[in-house]
Amino acid sequence: MIGYILRRLVSAVLVVIATSMIVFLLFTLGPSDPAQRLCSADRCTEERRALIHQSLGLDKPVVEQYLTWAKGVFVGRDVSYGPGFSVDCPAPCLGISYINKEPVFPTLMERFPATISIALGGFMYLIVGVIIGVLAARRRGTSTDRGLVASTLIISAIPYYLVALLAYLYLVLKWGIFSETSYVPLTEDPIGWAGALALPWLVLTVYFCVTYARFSRGSMIESLSEDYVRTARAMGVSESKVVAKHALRAAVVPVITIFGIDFATLLAGTVFTEAIFGINGIGRTALASITQGDLPIISATVLIGSVFIVIANLLVDIIYSFLDPRVRLS
Amino acid sequence: MAMPLQEMVTSPDTDPIETPDAKQVAGRSPTQIALERLRHDKVAVVSAAIVVLFVALAILAPVITSLVGVELNAGDPSEDTDAFNFPVIGPPDNGFTWEAPLGLEPGTGDDLLAEWLYGARTSLEVASISTLLSTIIGVALGLVAGFSRGWLDRVISFVIDVFLSFPFLLGALAMAPILLNRFGGDPEALDKAQFFGIIFILTFFSWMGLARLIRGEVLSLREREFVQAARVIGVPTRTVLFKELLPNLIAPIVVSISLSVPAFVTAEAGLAYLGIGLTGRPSWGQTINQASGYFDEYALYLWAPVIGIMLLVIALNLLGDSVRDAFDPKTRR
Repeated sequence: MIGYILRRLVSAVLVVIATSMIVFLLFTLGPSDPAQRLCSADRCTEERRALIHQSLGLDKPVVEQYLTWAKGVFVGRDVSYGPGFSVDCPAPCLGISYINKEPVFPTLMERFPATISIALGGFMYLIVGVIIGVLAARRRGTSTDRGLVASTLIISAIPYYLVALLAYLYLVLKWGIFSETSYVPLTEDPIGWAGALALPWLVLTVYFCVTYARFSRGSMIESLSEDYVRTARAMGVSESKVVAKHALRAAVVPVITIFGIDFATLLAGTVFTEAIFGINGIGRTALASITQGDLPIISATVLIGSVFIVIANLLVDIIYSFLDPRVRLS
Repeated sequence: MAMPLQEMVTSPDTDPIETPDAKQVAGRSPTQIALERLRHDKVAVVSAAIVVLFVALAILAPVITSLVGVELNAGDPSEDTDAFNFPVIGPPDNGFTWEAPLGLEPGTGDDLLAEWLYGARTSLEVASISTLLSTIIGVALGLVAGFSRGWLDRVISFVIDVFLSFPFLLGALAMAPILLNRFGGDPEALDKAQFFGIIFILTFFSWMGLARLIRGEVLSLREREFVQAARVIGVPTRTVLFKELLPNLIAPIVVSISLSVPAFVTAEAGLAYLGIGLTGRPSWGQTINQASGYFDEYALYLWAPVIGIMLLVIALNLLGDSVRDAFDPKTRR
């Protein structure tokens, strides 16, 4: 067991390192010059830009640049923009914003609670989806069940951002069913927090729960036909207990695995949600940085996003190995 | 797409002997059976018809625009729009006119029918090229990984893991500013770079699923007798891969293709909506982004591309689901 977790941990760390290398290469070797961004041609002389270039270490070999950067992630470093101008970037240092010359990591951490609050909707659609799936499985073959299967096909075929956009335009702006409120932190005003996120959560839940309803319906039908369910019924265990305690426990395992794998989809969903509902989270910050050409913010977002996906996959694998012993042995 | 002889021998149950009118036992490959089932699937036929219609509209975009008498980017803000930046002909203020069937764009006066048709073109171009490339990469790497096993398999599997932890949206986020920085000054070069950039990003982050699937299939297929027999009699590895293994992978490949196309259409429009996709040529996502500000006064402006995407993506997805069912031996009736 411990051996399996260690092996998965090592490969997760390797994946994170490889991802950080890709991100680093993309932004250092990519066809853009940070010195140009920091100091545009009309404000800066050629020599001054060369100085910035030099003090950022861009003239050094790529491997050395990467190691300097990676060291900064763990112990922090001073980022220097030419003589007499350097910014202290404490660990974890993911770079300095080109626009306000502040360390990127704390800026993103400020925006983090909003993104996490949206992602909470993810757990709601999981729960709602499983409940609907179980109900459909119990009423298998009825018109309710057929209606559910048909609607899951249609809803999951429409792009998420269209659903979110139309919900925002019509439910908020036109008909005023949901009020147009901006995000407030949970610690400041819990009611305002929930009020601002009510519609994003609703849209996320309605849109994504149908997929999980379909998965859990299939998996529930399978486990309801198992021998141990028949045995439990034969022993006179009540139907609700059979469903909730015996069948559901086995049926929910593959559904949770899919939820873990689907984490990337949820992340993409939050970027669209932030953009459409105007919530200032990490995704919207990154989108805004694109027009400003603020590469460090974007590279940090990309890195943080992929670390989250790796962690989610790792957690799912470990949880799965507890639930299903066969995984550990392979 | 003939199946290898060995496959016919090992799966005699593919013949529909049970049907009463089949007096003669006819040999049919699984692909033929799947196509036959698709023809009898009403949802599949209707979806396919819609997809064909969209493809025809996209290909004939220049012809249709010249027949109707509209032109792309021909708007003149001073002539075609009024003091409130709204178009002087057509919706929303005036009724329908053949001069601009879908109206003109507020602000610029560009024709929206032309933009819609060329938007369909962009969408299908990006989706089909990306699907083709990601399928080729996925099949090639999956075949190599599954067939070689050993260190090459481990390297490819690791690369698959790395890419799976790096979703395409993050890739697109990373690519957009780099292209903008580099080509920002030259609109034509920027457009070209964005077009190939989008295809690159979509391809780069979508081959892994198919590669994994193919690898798994090959791992089990390579132990089958017909592959071993081919290797024993000295058939070169390349021939084994392409003549023995590949024909047996038609089903997963076709299913993957039919489900990637709608995903790419969705992704292309989504990126354009966020402003990190194509900006230099018409794209439905971009129109939706601009039109959402006018949704109340000028609903047609928003709804034309919205309905375009919805109809195309739903038809493609339902067709994909039908294809998957048709190729799935478990649902064989």
